[in-house]
Amino acid sequence: MPQITIYVSPRSVGAPDTRPPAVATTDLARLFAGSPAVAGVSLRVEAGRTVALLGPNGAGKTTLLRVLATALRPSYGSASVDGLDVGRDTHLVRERVAYLSHATGLYDDLTARENLAFAAAMLSTPDPSARIDRALGDVELEARADDRVRDFSAGMRKRLALGRILLGRASLVLLDEPYAALDAEGMVLVDQLLAAWHAAGVTVMLASHTTDRLDALLDGRVTLARGLVAEVSGAGVTSMPPALPQRPRPVVATR
Amino acid sequence: MTELRAEARIALAIAHKDAIAELRGRHAMVSTLFFAAVVLLLFGFALGPDAARLAAAAPGLLWLAIVFAGILAVNRLHLLETDDDAFEQLALYPVARRAIYAGKALGGFAVMLLLGAVVLGAVGILFAVDIGSAWGPLLATVVLGAIGIAAVGTFYAGLTVRLRAREVMLPLLMLPVLAPLLLGAVKATAAALAGDPFGELGAWLQLLVAFDVIMVVAGAATYGYLLED
Repeated sequence: MPQITIYVSPRSVGAPDTRPPAVATTDLARLFAGSPAVAGVSLRVEAGRTVALLGPNGAGKTTLLRVLATALRPSYGSASVDGLDVGRDTHLVRERVAYLSHATGLYDDLTARENLAFAAAMLSTPDPSARIDRALGDVELEARADDRVRDFSAGMRKRLALGRILLGRASLVLLDEPYAALDAEGMVLVDQLLAAWHAAGVTVMLASHTTDRLDALLDGRVTLARGLVAEVSGAGVTSMPPALPQRPRPVVATR
Repeated sequence: MTELRAEARIALAIAHKDAIAELRGRHAMVSTLFFAAVVLLLFGFALGPDAARLAAAAPGLLWLAIVFAGILAVNRLHLLETDDDAFEQLALYPVARRAIYAGKALGGFAVMLLLGAVVLGAVGILFAVDIGSAWGPLLATVVLGAIGIAAVGTFYAGLTVRLRAREVMLPLLMLPVLAPLLLGAVKATAAALAGDPFGELGAWLQLLVAFDVIMVVAGAATYGYLLED
């Protein structure tokens, strides 16, 4: 397989210690219908690190990633990416973040190439046709480039969504279960992407249940349990204990 | 200026993407046009075979058919965004929110223009109305009506796309807002078909222009909030 090319913005190069933390949250909480999915997380991830979010279903991994991706607003506390607040500087954060959720966000009636062309237009990718060809090659979908996504398997969709990330110049890549739905070759592809992002100085946070294959690729690990940080290990990531002693409640005016 | 050009490029990319998807799913467009034709036929049956009565009712029936079929059309343009949560992906791109609105509304405008032209032709044939003699003012009315329906429809389709009851909610929200447009378009069409004996055509077209401007500006200013959590 040829070398995967990662395009980086000027922000992402340089020694990590000269950059602001890629991710910093302070007492971050997010409630759904009054119950917290993330219940007071204070986390700091250094730039250029690859960090896994671990924990059982419902631990808050996806919610944390979605807040950092600006898909959800924090209910309490704050979160920042490259020193930019996700609520206040949303547009600037979106320029820096690439997010792969459980859904791929692809259009069924468009071909793989057309889907990437649309993403390239949205991301203002320079020299788009060459970059699209390269991304299709990187995720090994050249042969199906002109087929409609409607006929793709779940694994092929995931590959294409990963290819979409390669069109941008994100300094923070957020991946929710990147190994899900992929065959053995696809999993190797994700490994190679993680290595390429790491080598390019791009920060990666991924939620995963597949931990054994990640050992060589990870700098740090964060284990979440019931919306709180249960354990932090490895390099590049630190956590503060929650400042809130109990689960946050909305402020209710009383008479 | 360069910023505006970048936003126009984004809007065109969104409209182009919608056009491809819409043309690939040709059956959807055809069924919308067929729906409009069926609505016209049923109105015809309801009013009876009196040709003079049908011709007199033609402007109202024309615009009711365009509005009903238009609701289906703008709804479908947003349903494209529900493919594997594409709407969220669209919202997360670092592009101006009003450019996203402009792109979706532009796609809606193109569909409404096609729909308006086809329904106008169908009314001419079914109700024996001479549209050839007044094609200029009729075209202006259809274009202004298409802009208004696309502007309102894009906003409300964005509002309801994530709701389970969207098929009910969309017409419920859209139809009252479209009332001024319906009034202006019907009156302008009637005046155009009659040869504008009272010189009122210009005033009705002005009402449509004002409606369009207000709705486009309001939609562009507020659509972004629909994309956020």
